[in-house]
Amino acid sequence: MSQFSRTWWGQKFIEAIEQLTDSGRLSRGRSYAKGNKVKSFNIDNGLVTAKVRGSVNPYFGVYKEPLYSTTIEFQPISKAKWSAAVALIASKASLISRLLLNEIPDNIEDTFKQLNLNLLPGSQRDFKTHCSCPDYSNPCKHIAGVYYLVAAELDHDPFLLFELRGLSREELLKELAKSPLGQALSAELQLEHQPPTPVDAYYAPLEMLKVPAKTELREFWQGSKRLPQTMEALPDSTVSGIPVKKQGDFPSFWTRDNSFIEAMETLYEQVKAKGQL
Amino acid sequence: MQILHGTWIPESGADFIQSGQFYLWVETTERNRDQTDDEERHPQHLAAEELAELLTSEFNICSPDRYPLADLVEPCYFLLPTVDGQPLPSLELSRYLEIELPETFAFDYWEIDGYPILNAATVRSKTAPNSVIPLLNELHFLTLHNLSEIQLGADLLFWFHFTQALKRTILKDHYIPALKYRALAPVKRQAAGKSKSKKSTAQQTDEFEIYSGWEFIGEEYGAMLEQYVEYMPLMCAAGFADPYEKPWLYNRLSLLRHFSECLLTEVVAHTQFTKAFENTISDSLLNNCLDLDVWPQSSGLDQYQQWQTWRDRIVRTQTDQSFYLYFHLQDPFKPEDPWQLQLQVAPKDDPSLKVPLNDYWRMRPEQQTQVKDHLGGEFEQNLLLNLGYAARIYPDLWQGLETDQPVGINLTLEAAFNFLKESAWVLENAGYKVIVPAWWTPHGRQRAKVRLKAKGKSLDGGDDKSKRYFSFERLVEYQYELAIGGEKVTEKEWHQLVNAKTPLVQFRGQWMELDQDKMQQMLEFWKTHQKENPELSLLEFMKLTAGGEDELEVECDRKDALADMLNKLGDKGQLQPVKNPDNFDGQLREYQKRGVSWLQYLEQLGLNGCLADDMGLGKTVQVIARMVQEREPEKKGRRKTAAKEIKLPPTLLIAPTSVVGNWLREMQKFAPHIKAAVHHGGERAKDAKTFKKACREHDILITSFALARKDAKLFNAIEWHRIVLDEAQNIKNPKAALTKAICKFSAPHRLALTGTPIENRLLDLWSIFNFLNPGYLGTQAQFRKSFEVPIQKSNDPRQATTLKKLVEPFILRRVKTDQSIIKDLPDKVEQKLFCNLTKEQASLYEAVVKDVENQLESAEGIHRKGLILATLTKLKQVCNHPRQFLQDESEFTALRSHKLTRLTEMVEEAMEERDSLLVFTQFTELGAALEKYIRQTFHCNTYYLHGGTSRKKRESMIAEFQDPETEPSVFILSLKAGGVGITLTKANHVFHFDRWWNPSVEDQATDRAFRIGQKKNVFVHKFVATGTLEERIDEMIEDKKKLAGSIVGADESWLTELDNNAFRKLISLNKSAIME
Repeated sequence: MSQFSRTWWGQKFIEAIEQLTDSGRLSRGRSYAKGNKVKSFNIDNGLVTAKVRGSVNPYFGVYKEPLYSTTIEFQPISKAKWSAAVALIASKASLISRLLLNEIPDNIEDTFKQLNLNLLPGSQRDFKTHCSCPDYSNPCKHIAGVYYLVAAELDHDPFLLFELRGLSREELLKELAKSPLGQALSAELQLEHQPPTPVDAYYAPLEMLKVPAKTELREFWQGSKRLPQTMEALPDSTVSGIPVKKQGDFPSFWTRDNSFIEAMETLYEQVKAKGQL
Repeated sequence: MQILHGTWIPESGADFIQSGQFYLWVETTERNRDQTDDEERHPQHLAAEELAELLTSEFNICSPDRYPLADLVEPCYFLLPTVDGQPLPSLELSRYLEIELPETFAFDYWEIDGYPILNAATVRSKTAPNSVIPLLNELHFLTLHNLSEIQLGADLLFWFHFTQALKRTILKDHYIPALKYRALAPVKRQAAGKSKSKKSTAQQTDEFEIYSGWEFIGEEYGAMLEQYVEYMPLMCAAGFADPYEKPWLYNRLSLLRHFSECLLTEVVAHTQFTKAFENTISDSLLNNCLDLDVWPQSSGLDQYQQWQTWRDRIVRTQTDQSFYLYFHLQDPFKPEDPWQLQLQVAPKDDPSLKVPLNDYWRMRPEQQTQVKDHLGGEFEQNLLLNLGYAARIYPDLWQGLETDQPVGINLTLEAAFNFLKESAWVLENAGYKVIVPAWWTPHGRQRAKVRLKAKGKSLDGGDDKSKRYFSFERLVEYQYELAIGGEKVTEKEWHQLVNAKTPLVQFRGQWMELDQDKMQQMLEFWKTHQKENPELSLLEFMKLTAGGEDELEVECDRKDALADMLNKLGDKGQLQPVKNPDNFDGQLREYQKRGVSWLQYLEQLGLNGCLADDMGLGKTVQVIARMVQEREPEKKGRRKTAAKEIKLPPTLLIAPTSVVGNWLREMQKFAPHIKAAVHHGGERAKDAKTFKKACREHDILITSFALARKDAKLFNAIEWHRIVLDEAQNIKNPKAALTKAICKFSAPHRLALTGTPIENRLLDLWSIFNFLNPGYLGTQAQFRKSFEVPIQKSNDPRQATTLKKLVEPFILRRVKTDQSIIKDLPDKVEQKLFCNLTKEQASLYEAVVKDVENQLESAEGIHRKGLILATLTKLKQVCNHPRQFLQDESEFTALRSHKLTRLTEMVEEAMEERDSLLVFTQFTELGAALEKYIRQTFHCNTYYLHGGTSRKKRESMIAEFQDPETEPSVFILSLKAGGVGITLTKANHVFHFDRWWNPSVEDQATDRAFRIGQKKNVFVHKFVATGTLEERIDEMIEDKKKLAGSIVGADESWLTELDNNAFRKLISLNKSAIME
């Protein structure tokens, strides 16, 4: 069974709700999240609103599949405190470097602690939930389902976490712009996604040209420059896949739970050992 | 002769997935008879059946299934230079054909049968690799080293080089899984939203398909393509699956890219991955990329964009960087202090402006701005990104980034060790620059080793003359000791090191790496062996020193005699040049004196070497000088009375027939007191008794390789003082009867002479060493396994180094471009080559002489003059080659003329050394024959300039010859047409095939090469036919008195003034100079 989150922050995020409700509701919630039951889903300024398709339940007098409105509202951090927090983050290259790579640094809470804050929700105080379903328990399975989806979204977009706690993207950029390190991050965040690069052919496209007017026999048969006289030795490498390692593990297109880097390492090693080279 | 061609041919059509195949085909000198009626078929190539047969028999390419290999062959279409409805042969093939290549030509398509190299999945044959990269390597290896009738075309040679470069790229993992986006309808260029939420993808309505595959990344790949496209013959881009209407070619760069991408996909997708690996990638992008069948997906734009962001980041940090980031590791002064890893940056375009980040952050703002300008836009942002990436592959770095102004990190000793062992390498490979302490570099590294300490006292010998030298069987006594970095270490110290808790220690003030396990093993080895007192022969000892095993290193105490010996043999510059021997009638050059010293030294040690100086540097005089020197009585010391020459047993010199006469002449010239005899011809001693007598009476016996085999019995019966092989490559075939016979001859000293760089032809090298120092390089089979195959086929640098270490002490090779040689040489080095007449030449010569003698008595006036001039011409023709005189189009072979044989041998040497050369002759018909002969014998570029050459052709030939990108070439010139006005400074060898009466005409011709712009020494070789009028002309030219004044005119007319007797003397033949 695939997890909703492979990142440490996503899992930490999930832990917060798992303390609050029973395993039955959580597991129903997970299947709601996976089973395409969440029909609409929106995150706006710390408020998550969703429509979740409920199931028929004669016990509660529900005979037609209902659509429930579910909301999760996170406790915002005040503007002043955000300002201080971002300033602290922007004073450490290690934090900014990781954020640049679309990761929440694992020691980020240390920084928030200095301001008596926590970034990730830790207890019920940090968020309020509501659902229009008849279940007396809060959080219910619908809330849990929506919550899991938020966690999954956090994997791809860790900056959503800042938004949930009341710091909008625009404000984040504004705060970051106040320090040189922060500027680096804000520039990266404002990079626009490139539109797809369409290609005309699966392999590199071939171009044609007319035979050059003054082609000499030698150029035709032997080329215009002499081949090198010595052959470079083959590289002998002990560590594989260095280019991909720089990007960190679990790139967003990698949906599996095992390590992408390890898979690539194995692939490179087996090509080197067994490929027809 | 057959030329193996091949190139990459893309599939025809305009499919989105357009792959291709690598086709091999064979061009031949034979016309294909069956297909002459088909106007579109190439007339000189192997058709399917023959092609398949050749590929199977010569290259072991077999059909993958039960159908014949020929069924796989398909017609391809090549755009080839065409004249008069016929395709021109490739330049390689044209060297075997009797045609003149035209200057103008058209292009046309020709149908050729090609064999497509099957990919790895189709063929699983263990006998021969069938994928493009390994198969081209195999073809290259076989054609270069094993086959004489099949040559690799320049197109295939290019592909061999390119595929090896591509292999290096793949081995460096410079490729990633890739997605390819194909727009089915035009894409609206919309600025996609910042978030990748489901909403934004829903808006994307354009139709598309996404394909998975592989792509190369990185700067190196791009640079490699750019580099190779310059080497790429147009021919490589002229093959098509279907012919076009008009003459088109593929753009070469696009073809290289296409080939590389197809090959990458093939190699990666066809690798047999383990089941365990496949389980870790199921249902993932990787799995799709490895799928052999490429299927488009019409969804998954999200994944595509995620992948695209990931890819762009990798590419961005790989290439779009305007500065270098350095990691500089500095060791602490005190061992207990931390190590420092300092961060530095420098602009890519000027790496000398290196700034430590520590300084950068502290700069005044204006200074910082200035530095930032050098480092490129958004420097700080890029720096951080880079540090972040670096920290991922080197996590220790994170601790240094807990600040807004990172400068570096402190490392513990263990961490520093880990950095040196692995991280440094990884960072470097990821494109960062790493600076490590000097003691870590291979050069500065101190290593622990068990040392063989040789007791070299026997080398000194003391007073006892008989013990003065190593005798042939002299053994080296030695003992083992423990050492680090060349210094002896006591057992106690060693124990301390073995028990040290850290992998890096400061030992005697120097940091070094410890491998405790290995050191423990060494200690045990030393303990068990230290009491032994083993002995090795000198050769075994040399072998051990070259072997270079890590655990056991042979090294000598710096001061002892063995170390001195190894040093001298390793660096021959340390040898003290001998003084010019008193009885040597000539002056040795400085490097020749060192050469004689080396010969002397090796012989004293009982070792045998190979003198491999470049052609023209005077190997002959060095050998002669050594013979003079070894006969000179010792002057110093107490035995002043012994002033008489030392009597030694005879030396046997075996040389090619073409130089036997020259050797005798040189002996007589430089050492007339040394009694030299030639063992050759019908008059030679044939029974043991006379032969032994001849040997007793002479100091040196000169014979040919042919007779060395024929008269082996005679030679075997003599205990020679020394055997010298001139042109030792004659024994390159270890299986030949000649080689076997020569190896049996008995002598304490053996010497091989050669001008070709034998190190490059490994089998030749083995065979020559087997003659010199039998067993030293192992058996032929061992040698093949441990050196020949790894070096020539797998390009293994380690084995190449080991072999070099093994043979280097035994080879003295000075090249004419060595600085130390250049300063010893005059700019122009002249030598004469005396060649005998063959029997055929001699009888022709005599017939001419006889004929003219009869006529001479009766001829008068203008008739006599004409007769004399005609005779001179005829005789000179005979001296050159019988065919030139007979003018009967008979065979122009080297066998019929020693001059031509000698020229052949020397051209070969020059070509091996990659020199260009000029050959002058006064006869047009000979020039043409020479040009054709050289072209067909060496398959090299040749040019021929004579009186009838058009001005335009002449200019283009000269330009092409001089072009540095042209392969070394041979330029043949008629003395009259090529004597003045042109510059051919690319040549540094000038041959005068026949002599002219006036040296200034020859000099003028020589000066074509010896002109302004010539940076190399020029070697001038003048051929003289011994015992003929050529020799007498030479004597006259040499005799300065006759040169003075006007007797010697610019031409031969003054010779007509000679009286009959004088003329008869001039042209008479000295019969002793004939040689079969």
